[in-house]
Amino acid sequence: MAAENGLLALGVLFGVVAAAGAVGRRTGVPAVPLYVLGGVVVGPYVAGAAGLPYVSDSETVTVLAEVGVVLLLFFLGLEFSLDRLLAARRRLSAAAGVDLLVNFPLGVALGLLFGWGPVGAFLLGGVVYVSSSAVITKSLVDLGWIADPEAEPVLGTLVAEDLVVAVYLALASALVLGGDPASAAVRVGVALAFLVVVAALAQFGARPLARALDGSDEDLVLRTMALALVVAGLALAVGASEGVAGFFVGVGVGATPLHDRVAETLAPVRDAVAAVFFAWVGLRTDPALVVAVAGPLAVAAVVTGPAKVLSGAVGGRLYDLPRRRSLRTGLALVARGEFSLVIAALAAASPDPRVAATLPAFAVGYVLVMALAGTLAMSEAARIERLLGVGAD
Amino acid sequence: MRVAPLDAHDSMTVYESDLPGVGKKHEIDLGDGTRLVVVTHNTGKREVFRRADADADAEKLFELGDDLARTVGTVLEGAYFQPVRSAGMETVLGGDTLLEWFAVPDGATLADTTLREAGVRERTGASVIAVEHGEEVTGNPHPEDEVHAGDTVVVVGTRQQVDAFEAAFLRADGAAGEGGGADHSADGDATDPDSDADA
Repeated sequence: MAAENGLLALGVLFGVVAAAGAVGRRTGVPAVPLYVLGGVVVGPYVAGAAGLPYVSDSETVTVLAEVGVVLLLFFLGLEFSLDRLLAARRRLSAAAGVDLLVNFPLGVALGLLFGWGPVGAFLLGGVVYVSSSAVITKSLVDLGWIADPEAEPVLGTLVAEDLVVAVYLALASALVLGGDPASAAVRVGVALAFLVVVAALAQFGARPLARALDGSDEDLVLRTMALALVVAGLALAVGASEGVAGFFVGVGVGATPLHDRVAETLAPVRDAVAAVFFAWVGLRTDPALVVAVAGPLAVAAVVTGPAKVLSGAVGGRLYDLPRRRSLRTGLALVARGEFSLVIAALAAASPDPRVAATLPAFAVGYVLVMALAGTLAMSEAARIERLLGVGAD
Repeated sequence: MRVAPLDAHDSMTVYESDLPGVGKKHEIDLGDGTRLVVVTHNTGKREVFRRADADADAEKLFELGDDLARTVGTVLEGAYFQPVRSAGMETVLGGDTLLEWFAVPDGATLADTTLREAGVRERTGASVIAVEHGEEVTGNPHPEDEVHAGDTVVVVGTRQQVDAFEAAFLRADGAAGEGGGADHSADGDATDPDSDADA
């Protein structure tokens, strides 16, 4: 039986992600896949199937998970700086270009190979393309790579991916609803127009924005939340992606002097609701479906893991790093995480059953495998370097 | 990820780069091929690493919270103790001999006395080779030349002699030589056991 009480459901969910986080810290396993697993365990398909009380993806949980998506993308926007991107554009655009042109088409090709149709393939391209900022940044800090030269191409590539993801999500959220090409085109047009307006306001409205948001820490948190959620909600109402709207609000706030304070005061809120989002993805995941896509999953892992290493290594070379550091750049970029799951959540809304049922389960399995593989690749980097003959003496 | 030298004077170069989502990184060239890498997290945490050479992986030395990092930084900056005397400058002439400039504070033993009365060379072994009085500089001063508070004296001698000079003559409270082992009286009588006959 489902816990009908929304409060209880949320409480249990927070308890589960808290426990998952503690396990992660003790074992060194990244938190994102553990949050998802926690959600799977207390959800209808495991706890429910075993006749135990379980947490369902009720409206209460879903709304909080949506806030999680908006804030995840808001923070992406907050850290995103057009100036920074332009300052490094020569090396960065080359490295980011290789990253995009290797990994995205590879995902699309795999999607077509698996017979998921053009929309499914487009979504798989995104799932395969985006590395996990959350998992990778944490590993960089934990392992001390943050002080090494490879941190720059790694973080630079992640920032460039964030921009691509924003554009990609705008397209994907309009495409996924399907329908005839004409109405899909209108939807894409409306969604893009809305986002262009938000982006323009974000770019040029820094001063009035700063004045409107500034106040005590409490004012700042409340006003920023209000702005992000209202814009995201309006985006949803016109058929645009709420996450992308959140991204551009983040870009706007990031351009104000309030940037650091907002990041500091809102980070705990983001962490809490993002964890709910990951657990919510787990609640909706039937492990049987993940097992059913084990074949494609294995193929994708074996193909796209090394592809990321390769594209990342080329990116490292474009940053003039020696071979060993370039390899480490590639290894660091293997982990996939939060945005693959955001895309999966988007796929669940598709009217195409191949996409709606298969892709989310696939993405969950894929993130579990790739987040672990990526973390392992970094902690075992010395061994891999020796194996490939580029180790330090 | 721009890498910009913040400060290129002398041989010291500090490189700054952005770490999006983490904070900023500063690399300080230590001159012998090693680098100190300071990662300042957005949370305020500082992590300090050392990289033995260009190819080596950074080795973490320690990390500090924001408050502690600021305190340590202030100590390193010399706010609490300046190892180089702020009133003096020194130049090593070779061997153990140095040339040092001292401001003469109000109430110092050396203020308003002649060099002979003070017995500078007899008592400390150091020699005053110039006295700066405002714009006016007296090179190779006569033993009867007077020194006043506010003057700058240029002293030559071994490290030990120069230190003894400072202890004997430049204390603002006039308590020259106190605790320094040698008993110098303020009027310059030859009570120093090491002193030879008057010059």
